[in-house]
Amino acid sequence: MRVNTLHKYWKTTAIAAAEYVGNNLLFLMDYLLRFLRVTVLLSIWRVILASKGEVSGMTLESVLTYTLISEVFSQQLAPRVRLDVAIWEGSIATRFLRPIGIFGQFTAEMVGRWIFGFCIFSLPLLLVAPILGVNPLPVSVEAAGLFVFSLALAISVGLALEFAYGALMVALEHNLYTLDMVRNAIGMVLSGALLPLALLPWGLGEIFAWLPFASMASAPLQIYTGTGDPFWLVSVQFGWSIILWPLAYGLWRKYREKLVSHGG
Amino acid sequence: MDSGVHQFKSSPAFYLLRIFKLWYIHAYMDLMWVTRDLRNCLIYYLSDVILNIAGVTGTLLLAERFEGIGSWTKFQVVFMLGYGIVASGIVYTFFGYNISHISRRLGRGQLDHTLIQPQPIWMCLLTEGFNPFSSSAIPISGLGLMVWAGAKLSLTLSPGWLAMIALNLVASSAIMLSFSFLWGSLAFWAPRGAEEINSSTNRLMDGLRPFPLDGVAPVLLSSMLTVFPIGFVAWYPCRYLLGLDPRAWGGCITPVAAVIFVALTAFFFMRGLKHYGQTGSQRYLSFGHRR
Repeated sequence: MRVNTLHKYWKTTAIAAAEYVGNNLLFLMDYLLRFLRVTVLLSIWRVILASKGEVSGMTLESVLTYTLISEVFSQQLAPRVRLDVAIWEGSIATRFLRPIGIFGQFTAEMVGRWIFGFCIFSLPLLLVAPILGVNPLPVSVEAAGLFVFSLALAISVGLALEFAYGALMVALEHNLYTLDMVRNAIGMVLSGALLPLALLPWGLGEIFAWLPFASMASAPLQIYTGTGDPFWLVSVQFGWSIILWPLAYGLWRKYREKLVSHGG
Repeated sequence: MDSGVHQFKSSPAFYLLRIFKLWYIHAYMDLMWVTRDLRNCLIYYLSDVILNIAGVTGTLLLAERFEGIGSWTKFQVVFMLGYGIVASGIVYTFFGYNISHISRRLGRGQLDHTLIQPQPIWMCLLTEGFNPFSSSAIPISGLGLMVWAGAKLSLTLSPGWLAMIALNLVASSAIMLSFSFLWGSLAFWAPRGAEEINSSTNRLMDGLRPFPLDGVAPVLLSSMLTVFPIGFVAWYPCRYLLGLDPRAWGGCITPVAAVIFVALTAFFFMRGLKHYGQTGSQRYLSFGHRR
């Protein structure tokens, strides 16, 4: 029974992973533009931190690694299950009819998209990192192990926020694109995915570090680059995970009853 | 009498009047949409302000932390950020509703809706996306940043400088739109595969627009002034406007680039349109992917 259930989720994952290649090679354009973006960001960091030595515990090398790894794991550091899109286009209605749970099927699809993105973009980016003048390796073997654990917690926190956001979208009945763009823009700053929190002025980084957004990106990236206390970072991530999942589940159970769908 | 009417209908004055009339109609519909209820209106405006400020907050914080970025002082960076927001605000104000996201319209077969309008395509594209009310928060927030930075930088506002800033803003917006159309035109040939290509190009523009590009490797910089002309959206024109580029003709580079990009875009778009004339859209066929 358990194997059968896992098989269903795996099939969902495989379908999502394969959907990219069903069209044509133009999907590669998105990855090309992402590559351009990361190379520009690396250049900008070199300009900003040139001859500045260590700033708030971060050297130029660690910032470059931080930026590169942030891009390599960008899908995991900001997980998107596309629940909002399903609500918008009405396909959420047919999903309730499928013989697998809502949270599970969305997550399985997301993992499928990750597999493709990881093979086509993240791995090549890691491989060309030395050509870009960036050391892609973690600061130590222990840091690599802790990073994997921290990344799993980051995904957990991100997913909980994603489902809570989906429920709130139903509750507020607000424009999908506006909400999503605002969430992305705010999350980008607060999570530390774009800028290491340690480099923010006025001690803002110390405040942001307590927010769930920081648990999604800043925490694993700090562990990877050896610029933060792993025990404290993982503890905060764990705490947010425990708080947010019951909240997300409760919100979804409450507001899914308000869901009205005309599409699908 | 008839020949007089015919002459007027083919004169520039007629087209101009028609454009203003269509802008008025679309502005009215936009106002009705925004004010359909107070809650939505407030959320919409608040979201837009937050979105645009948050989009540049990273660069603002960096400039604050390091007292500027490279050779740019803190308030020069703020000015550039404001300029970039205003330039994109112009695009969103005049070319909203997926006009600036043209790959969606083409990929979804929505060009058919434009083709049946009783005016030329160029006029439809110029007027259909006019949404001065729902997008007004964007240029206003950008102008606020520009005024704030301008006051701190003690800029001398001569008529010539103001004319140059207006010219460059229009040119930057034209380049942004051209970039969208240039890549978006691919959807003529690959409606399904390129439908969302403008999401990628716009994301790139929005993501890199807030950074001064001095010090970026020459090859990369060249690409950012040609194939991906992000440098013209804010960085290059602001270098001239803020006196970081001492060349007297520096202010003409962005407008000249805009003319080149618009010409190139018009060429590719027309080629795409010709292809579309032969193949049409699958939208309303039983196997159409957006049916």
